[in-house]
Amino acid sequence: MRSPTTLASLADELRAIVGQSGVLHAGSDLLVFECDGYQIEKNSPDIAAFPRSTDEVARVVRAAARYEIPIVPRGAGTSLAGGCLPVGGGLMIVLTRMKRILEINLRDRYAVVEPGVVNAWLNQALAGTGYHYAPDPSSQGACTIGGNVATNSGGPHTLKYGVTVNHVLGLEAVLADGRVIQCGGPAEDSPGLDLVGALVGSEGTLAIVAKIWVRLTRNPQGCRTMLAVYDTIDEATDTISQIIGAGIIPAAIEMMDQGIIAAVEQAYHFGFPLDAQAVLLIEVDGLEAGLDAQRDVVAELCRQCGARNVQFAADATERQLLWKSRKQAFGAIGRLSPNYCTQDGVVPRTKLPHILRRILAIGEKHRVRIVNVFHAGDGNIHPIILYDEREPGAIERVLQASGEILDECIHCGGSVTGEHGIGVEKIRYMAKMFTADDLAAMEHLRTAFNPENRLNPCKMLPTAGGCGMEQIRPGRRAAL
Amino acid sequence: MSHTASELLPLTGTVAPPDSAALAGALRQASADGTPLYPIGGGTSLDYGLPARAPGLGLSLARLDRIVDYPARDMTITVEAGIKMSVLAAALAEQRQRLPVDVPQAERATLGGVIATNASGPLRYGHGTIRDYVIGISVVDGRGMEFKGGGRVVKNVAGYDFCKLLVGSLGTIGVITQATLKVKPLPESSALVACRLRDHEQAEQLLAGLVASRTSPTAIELLAGPAWEDEPALEPIEPAQTGSGFGQLVIALEGTAVEVQSMTATLADEWRAFGVAAHVLPPERAESLWKRLREFPAAREGGQPHFAPKAPQNEPVPNAGLVAKINVPASRTIEMIRLAGEIQPDCSVQAHAGNGVIVVRMPSFPSGGISRLWIGRLQPAAQQVGGSAVILSCSQVSELTRQAVWGRPAQAAMLMEAVHRQFDPKNLLNPGRFVYS
Repeated sequence: MRSPTTLASLADELRAIVGQSGVLHAGSDLLVFECDGYQIEKNSPDIAAFPRSTDEVARVVRAAARYEIPIVPRGAGTSLAGGCLPVGGGLMIVLTRMKRILEINLRDRYAVVEPGVVNAWLNQALAGTGYHYAPDPSSQGACTIGGNVATNSGGPHTLKYGVTVNHVLGLEAVLADGRVIQCGGPAEDSPGLDLVGALVGSEGTLAIVAKIWVRLTRNPQGCRTMLAVYDTIDEATDTISQIIGAGIIPAAIEMMDQGIIAAVEQAYHFGFPLDAQAVLLIEVDGLEAGLDAQRDVVAELCRQCGARNVQFAADATERQLLWKSRKQAFGAIGRLSPNYCTQDGVVPRTKLPHILRRILAIGEKHRVRIVNVFHAGDGNIHPIILYDEREPGAIERVLQASGEILDECIHCGGSVTGEHGIGVEKIRYMAKMFTADDLAAMEHLRTAFNPENRLNPCKMLPTAGGCGMEQIRPGRRAAL
Repeated sequence: MSHTASELLPLTGTVAPPDSAALAGALRQASADGTPLYPIGGGTSLDYGLPARAPGLGLSLARLDRIVDYPARDMTITVEAGIKMSVLAAALAEQRQRLPVDVPQAERATLGGVIATNASGPLRYGHGTIRDYVIGISVVDGRGMEFKGGGRVVKNVAGYDFCKLLVGSLGTIGVITQATLKVKPLPESSALVACRLRDHEQAEQLLAGLVASRTSPTAIELLAGPAWEDEPALEPIEPAQTGSGFGQLVIALEGTAVEVQSMTATLADEWRAFGVAAHVLPPERAESLWKRLREFPAAREGGQPHFAPKAPQNEPVPNAGLVAKINVPASRTIEMIRLAGEIQPDCSVQAHAGNGVIVVRMPSFPSGGISRLWIGRLQPAAQQVGGSAVILSCSQVSELTRQAVWGRPAQAAMLMEAVHRQFDPKNLLNPGRFVYS
């Protein structure tokens, strides 16, 4: 139990470290931190601190340790599984003031950034250099690289270029006791265990990342972007298997179904055909020398699978509009429904036709409308379940439909999350994907880093439930 | 001449379980008895790491060599850890696919061994390392508990990424029994383009130039020292300009035939601006050189595989080599090669120069001990240029210390030890051989 006096005393200590403006303590100031993109469950932290350096993070963490208060690290809060939900309150360490790009080294093909750097800023800083940072989550205009590291984010272009962990060379991190470690760095293969690999995707449960060495990727010489239009979803999903099966790895294959096409078209007026059941946004990139040929092969495969039309982006402007439509599709959903819940599951690519049929059936069964926009080339689906929270029983039906979709992903040999993590939302699926021994092994890893379980408690592992919290009613978690 | 595991490790016996359940049983028994265990794949890297001194049981993965599932259209494959890399490559090639991780002795090396040692080769510049391909892993820890991480899909962030934790852990976190890999299409065409280098300065100019190249090489190999002087594939290549010549630069290009053709022409143009002639090796020469590039870390001067025999104390093995791997930021590669040459003028070098990974091989074992004569100077030099050096293989193990093999402890060493203790609390897995004791 944390008394107001204790919290006031901690707040004073934190102000001494990060300054008066670097601490939020009043209840109403903290409301903005009560959830991330997963809005079904909410709880405010007791205090939020905004450090500006590794040293300040370490001192804040040490202060929290003295008060035995849990810590939840947070970037921009764009995650979708409740990874930033301060279950049980505690101290939220908001890393958005650590937003400097510390170094760009083209000769060694890396950059060093602070965790609060927004993903898109790095590529803006790299414009004109011939290099870019490859991981490009759809929320890249808002999400931070620290958050990308925490969730091992993907994005459309990760089909060819890999997810965040494939592009992180090193990390500086603050452990639960305030010690600062560095693992990896500009020199590859440093002797010892790959702690970078363990930390990426650990959802803030192992350490607080304070500095990141990222790999820079040479820009492709050119790209060809096309839109294939289908009368049936099966034809679209079959195309994906055919392209990959033909040994072509496009830079991206994104799929949108009819529901999302309508919303996106209303918002961005690209000229998407409203009667199409599905479109594929496909991009191939590489050397100019081979690109036209590769584009033609892909377009031919689309047609063979039943595409009624394959349109090519005529120029950079058209390409940008296409990508804008895709990446900001979620913003357009507001036109469809007052509330929505985005799911994040993965199936083997060849199971896409099956899972999309099942999603349709599950939506009908639970009387919820589901639209789809997702990273089809990776098998990473994002069914978006539309609802109105004012309608009695709506949330329950959304949760049931979500659950059945994720169960089906597991049944297909897939995963319950491809890029947003487990957070609090998916804890109950961990025991479906993993055995008790698998989970015990995960527990062992966490214990090595975070023995008192004060870093982002009650996240990712079902065994983390025993930390004095309970779900006090559907959609609300709080401290006892 | 090759050596058996029992010559390289202090084995009291060897078991070869038929499946992972039996393997877990063997580990549980060993845990109960306090018996050290030495996982053995193809036996190609048993001289990597500190020599084992505690007698224990060999745990052969030879019978766990099945292809469990190969949904080729998903471009993933699930195999048992004991599968030979060459067998895996052949199965993938039937579907025109590959795992683009090239390691020495693929006919003997196993996938589990490659994961455990994080072995890599020239292709790492263009394709990354095994770390980038393992998407699921099954493991038995030091208690005999079976666990897994990841899964069978290419994108998956459920739970901690044990795949990465196991890569390069030298069998100390657990014995790898099975892995799921993502694979890539085989390229339609490939070529090697080479040039002879005048001196260190020119080498750095060319390497820096490749950072801005309009080509996309899959390997950037810098070769120097006596081992390469008689390489027949490189014989017709004239020195870049006058001078005795420092070494060769070999670039691998892959893609469609059109792409490879375009890149070789582009590279030749780019090098011409540096006053350097680019030689496209004829296919048969390219093939033989590629094989040698792959095998260099494991080869003796004569090109034969080198395995360190278990030498009696204080008795040097004649004509046996010593191989170190140095990792520095890529831009410091030439500087590091120069330092290595100052420390040992007749050493031979293969640098994966785009990555700053430098394999240095001595022609014979230095008299008087490694620490004092060679590694003792190489490691501070590597640190000076922002990296580290480890011994990859060594024929005379009696003088190897932790410092000699692994260098100065990593800054996060205490954390690595804490992780290790969680999975192998009795310190029975490859005890004493890795960076932690």
